[in-house]
Amino acid sequence: MIGAFSGWLIGATLLLALVAVITAIRDRPMGVVLLAGLAVLEVALLVQAGLALADLGQVREKATFIGYLAATVVLPPAAVWWGRAERTRWGPGVIAVAAFTVAVMTGRLLQLWDATA
Amino acid sequence: MTSGASAEQTVGSGPGRVLVALYGVFALAASARAAVQIATKFAEAPLAYLLSAFAAVVYIVLTVALARGARRTALVACAIELAGVLIVGTLSLADAQAFPHATVWSGYGSGYGFVPLVLPVIGLVWLLRPRRS
Repeated sequence: MIGAFSGWLIGATLLLALVAVITAIRDRPMGVVLLAGLAVLEVALLVQAGLALADLGQVREKATFIGYLAATVVLPPAAVWWGRAERTRWGPGVIAVAAFTVAVMTGRLLQLWDATA
Repeated sequence: MTSGASAEQTVGSGPGRVLVALYGVFALAASARAAVQIATKFAEAPLAYLLSAFAAVVYIVLTVALARGARRTALVACAIELAGVLIVGTLSLADAQAFPHATVWSGYGSGYGFVPLVLPVIGLVWLLRPRRS
């Protein structure tokens, strides 16, 4: 896993969470922008998981690391599935929670990665 | 329950949907953490790791109960969660030796931004709010 890539990923994910919060405050349901953002995020997370797994040898806490990787990849589709049914401001609310969680988990991934690098 | 359909609408939708998402995240995080702890180093602190597993079960029950609109189950689980975070939080501060290894509820959930402490309160407020028929 490349540190810079994950750093940008955290920034982009927090931006997405912010957009979701703003959408919720403006009392709008989930729109194309959030959906596209989540799709891009999912692709980036899959790339991150691929990069990380390719170089897994240097991580000490492998089980925890893989657990976080799997969770980050699963969360965006889960947020779309659970947020899509809610055509109110609370749909973006769900996405904000998921995006923030992905950001925190990516941060933990970086910590686990750096602990052994 | 005859009022099941309308209860489902009110408990698991609207703001409740965000609550389900939060509990879902904590169910995932707590069960993954408990699984890793029990699988790799159970002998080090069996009590703490069993507590982690118990917390994980409570979060899973709450996620499902809220999502499916099972109000009574959610209420009981929320009360257990609040009691758990208060008791374990207090014990972990009062007798640090008994809890050398962190659980989700140690230090009132300080390792998770105190969300484990705030979440059951929000959950109880949400479940007990006055209902209009």
